[in-house]
Amino acid sequence: MRKRFSTLAALAAAIVIFAAVPGQAHFGAIIPSDDIVTQQLKGDLALEIKFLHPMEMEYMEMEKPETFGVMHKGKKTDLTERLKPAGGKSPGQEKTDTFWKAVYPIRRPGDYTFYTEPKAYWEPAENLFIKHYTKVCVNAYALEQGWDQPVGLETEIVPLTRPYGLWTGNVFTGRVLVNGQPAAHAEVEVEYLNESAGDSGYIEPPFSPYVTQVVRADAGGVFTYAMPKAGWWGFSALSEADWTRQHEGKEKNVEIGAVYWVRTRDMK
Amino acid sequence: MKTRTYFLAAAAACLLLFAASASAHKVSVFAYADSGKIYTESYFQNGDPVANGGLKVYDSNDNLVAEGVTDNQGLFAFEIPRADDFRIVIDAGMGHKSSFILKKSRVKAAIKSGGQP
Repeated sequence: MRKRFSTLAALAAAIVIFAAVPGQAHFGAIIPSDDIVTQQLKGDLALEIKFLHPMEMEYMEMEKPETFGVMHKGKKTDLTERLKPAGGKSPGQEKTDTFWKAVYPIRRPGDYTFYTEPKAYWEPAENLFIKHYTKVCVNAYALEQGWDQPVGLETEIVPLTRPYGLWTGNVFTGRVLVNGQPAAHAEVEVEYLNESAGDSGYIEPPFSPYVTQVVRADAGGVFTYAMPKAGWWGFSALSEADWTRQHEGKEKNVEIGAVYWVRTRDMK
Repeated sequence: MKTRTYFLAAAAACLLLFAASASAHKVSVFAYADSGKIYTESYFQNGDPVANGGLKVYDSNDNLVAEGVTDNQGLFAFEIPRADDFRIVIDAGMGHKSSFILKKSRVKAAIKSGGQP
């Protein structure tokens, strides 16, 4: 009896340990059809709004975001009504999960910062809610104005590197804000969107630390990362919200993430 | 006389400085049609307007159909000559030249919305 109990306990402990080391990071994502709009663009800009593990290409079910919008020349426009559900899954996934699509006609020059506030996502493995405020910037007609302005979200990354027109190998530097203030020593997770690898195919991480890169911001909330491959890169700065949310009658912590996406291209 | 030389030297230095700072910024022109008019905006990469820039408009047969000078906000507008593809060229001097193609479909829509012939 006693032996059986200890086996059970060991098994339970193993499960807990396994579950507590997810080895993969959740990322909110807004991926536009390109980060640059010129006269050569056919049709309108298409955007995909997702919640996924970018490196492992695993989707998570995403409810319709509370807000999806765009900021251009300091003016915010709500685009939530443009969201249309779509289904996505990685090669290894059985079930199709929901992500969201939107089309936005860009008619004027300047920088367009798209942003989304998703609904809080309950993550049983981490015993908390996850809410990733996500942004991406698209430049139109070579007028480079607006990318360095905050949107005013609960938490967000404000770029210090111009966030478009980046070469492979460039660094991306950003400042993490929580409630408008620099988030000192915030942890920033970095992942490559594996499905953006294109012709060169899927990148197989040799060991689990290669899945998610981790950098810690300095006292001013500033972090830097150099991107070694062409494609889309996501930066996710995590903080604990100063509010909680109920799950099955109990107050649970909320992890708020400030996520930013940039694209790199090879020099050739 | 000496003062004048100094002044000229200073002016030349200013001009050089200006040329150096401006050349780091690419010039662009953007145009849209609305309510019977074509509106153009000419700007440097960083958003500074191209003031007093020469602007020329060509139709699909490369005929000059309009021309003018941008104001201090880099703007210049003109009446839609007719429904056609237009090539709008800004010349900001010092080798800063750029063009924009305004499609006939956009021009047509603006003629309708503006109630112009």
